[in-house]
Amino acid sequence: MPGSPQTVSALRSLLAARFPERPRRPGGGPAAAVRSIDDALGGGLPPGRLTELVSAVPSGGGQTVIARLLGAAQDARQRVALIDGADGFAPGEVPGDALRHLVWVRCRAPGEAFSAADILVRDGNYAAVVLDLRGCAERVLRRTPASTWYRLQRAAEGGCVAVLVQTTSPLVPAVPWRLVLETPFSLADAGALREAVADRLGVRTERSHPPATEALAG
Amino acid sequence: MRYAVLAVPDFALHALRRSEPGLCGRPVALVAGEGRRARLTEVSREARGVAPGLAVTLAMSRCPGIVLRPRDPGAEVEAHRLLLAAAFTLAPRVESTGPGCCTVDLRGADPARSEALMGLRAAELAGAGLPLRAGAGETPLLASYAARCADPVLIVRDPGSFLAPLPLLFADPTPGQEEILRGWGIATLGALTALAKAEVGRRMGPEGVLLWERAAGESERVLRLAEPARSFAAQWAYEPPVESIEPLFFKLRRFAERVALELRGAGFVAEKLSLTLLLEDETDHRREFRLPEPGADVEGWMRVLNSHLETVRTAARVAGVRLVAAPARPQERQEGLFDAGLRDPASFWENLARVAAIVGDDRVGTPVPIDTHRPDAFTMERPAEAVAPPAEAQVHPARGPVLRRFRPPWPVRVVCDAGRPARLEAGRLEGRVCAALGPWRGAGDWWKPGAWAAETWQVEMEGGGVYQVTCTADGWSVEGMLD
Repeated sequence: MPGSPQTVSALRSLLAARFPERPRRPGGGPAAAVRSIDDALGGGLPPGRLTELVSAVPSGGGQTVIARLLGAAQDARQRVALIDGADGFAPGEVPGDALRHLVWVRCRAPGEAFSAADILVRDGNYAAVVLDLRGCAERVLRRTPASTWYRLQRAAEGGCVAVLVQTTSPLVPAVPWRLVLETPFSLADAGALREAVADRLGVRTERSHPPATEALAG
Repeated sequence: MRYAVLAVPDFALHALRRSEPGLCGRPVALVAGEGRRARLTEVSREARGVAPGLAVTLAMSRCPGIVLRPRDPGAEVEAHRLLLAAAFTLAPRVESTGPGCCTVDLRGADPARSEALMGLRAAELAGAGLPLRAGAGETPLLASYAARCADPVLIVRDPGSFLAPLPLLFADPTPGQEEILRGWGIATLGALTALAKAEVGRRMGPEGVLLWERAAGESERVLRLAEPARSFAAQWAYEPPVESIEPLFFKLRRFAERVALELRGAGFVAEKLSLTLLLEDETDHRREFRLPEPGADVEGWMRVLNSHLETVRTAARVAGVRLVAAPARPQERQEGLFDAGLRDPASFWENLARVAAIVGDDRVGTPVPIDTHRPDAFTMERPAEAVAPPAEAQVHPARGPVLRRFRPPWPVRVVCDAGRPARLEAGRLEGRVCAALGPWRGAGDWWKPGAWAAETWQVEMEGGGVYQVTCTADGWSVEGMLD
């Protein structure tokens, strides 16, 4: 039975009021919820692409980015996988609610992290996969064959997942986006609200490559 | 089982037969060489009285009506892509080992499911004209031996008893080695591995040791991984061009079988099919079909294509055909109006099981902090099926940078000045402390075993970096970096 336009309009208004939805970004990728990073990437992590975030200094803010990303993904009701190459994530640092949509993989070696990433990037259920390689032995990471990275890039291109690779020095060959965190935190930041702390993060864009419009079928 | 090998015996012959409808059920042989030197290389089962290596003239006299053909590289490429697509449905780490042979890294996959899938793929490929043999074992070599003996699937659970009766030729000995071993009365892999490896090495040198290892199925190697298909398309050029619809149907079905498997291996289904007929007069006929229900069902695709092709009239003969499938993620479940659940639950749980097999069951999941003040206390739980809506804003919002833990904590010697850390001395972190916040003192569980007490400081190092250091009964340690 067709409803009257007034009824439909009233229902729409009621739904919009009770379930407000955040505006979608044009790119459709998950937001990092860190102003400088989102600005550099044009609104959020690019889906179907690798983004390398280099923590060039100690206390550069890489972990704060992960915490903010988890919060933003929770708001957007998206699922996130964190592949933790050196098992450094501290669940107690993030509100419990912001962990329910997280799949955390605690690796012992970079090889485990790459294998897990190869599987999860292809999964299709995640909006973002974070591959955190900070804390892994640099000489082991340097020995990673370029084909491993290309394979990961090809896997990401096949789907709509945004892949954020965290490193301490530039590592990913031919990565479309490479951002460098260069502003270290100090103890003065310890009492500030986390949102303000995240806004303080300084990012230098070392490489940027706006995603080309291409069909999935190639 | 850690590896699987999918292999098609007489691959070139089967590739040719599946590309030509007229060769089905007839005696066929592949020929290599010119003139009098031409010899049969592969022979179909229907060709009675002939065998590979036979001269062509002799074969024609022994088996009247035998169809002799050279190899068809185009058909072999198409058949190998079908085999590769089947392999990618088992696991994402696949090696294209050779023509008609793929090796799959099954580590992390559920063994029972992998075995069932191998059986299923063997049946599907047999229907598509490729009699697949699948073997699985602890090493790629063992899996390849199993594939050679399989009918159609063989899982090697006890390598010793499987290898023992196999002929020595399986280990690929050189003619010299074969002669020596025949002189010793050794004809099977079991007989060779019954000898001590060191003794074999002493008498036959390093090559003998390698032979012994191959005989024991122990040879490990790194797989050269192949990339899964990224475009789901197939194309064929007819030589000569065709006038009737039957060759088109035949070729489109072969394409559909391969493309559907490639889509399934990548976790996709097709939402649209695009058909192009390339005509002899250099024009083309194109048509796009939006499928009533996105899927990777060959019969469903063929119904759509057939019903269109039966009505098509072209101005010239068809010189080629192209089929392209537009991929989409399968809608595995009905989503609620405000639900944000899994898009593909089967793939989600299967992939988590694969990751758990790599890192350990207790190291994958959703972390849940335990209600205690003990540092770093959490449990790992099974991830939720649906992402819950955001909770209301916290009364006490999070402050400061986030701690990145060092597990295990780094032991450190702390020099204090007026009760405050002034300098850290340790192998991994040394230097003067330029600012320190603290102490935060905590203790708990003092009424039961496992009591803890800690004094925590946050220190900023002169050379940069803010760290969290803790003093417990065991001494000072760096718990992590505020990052």
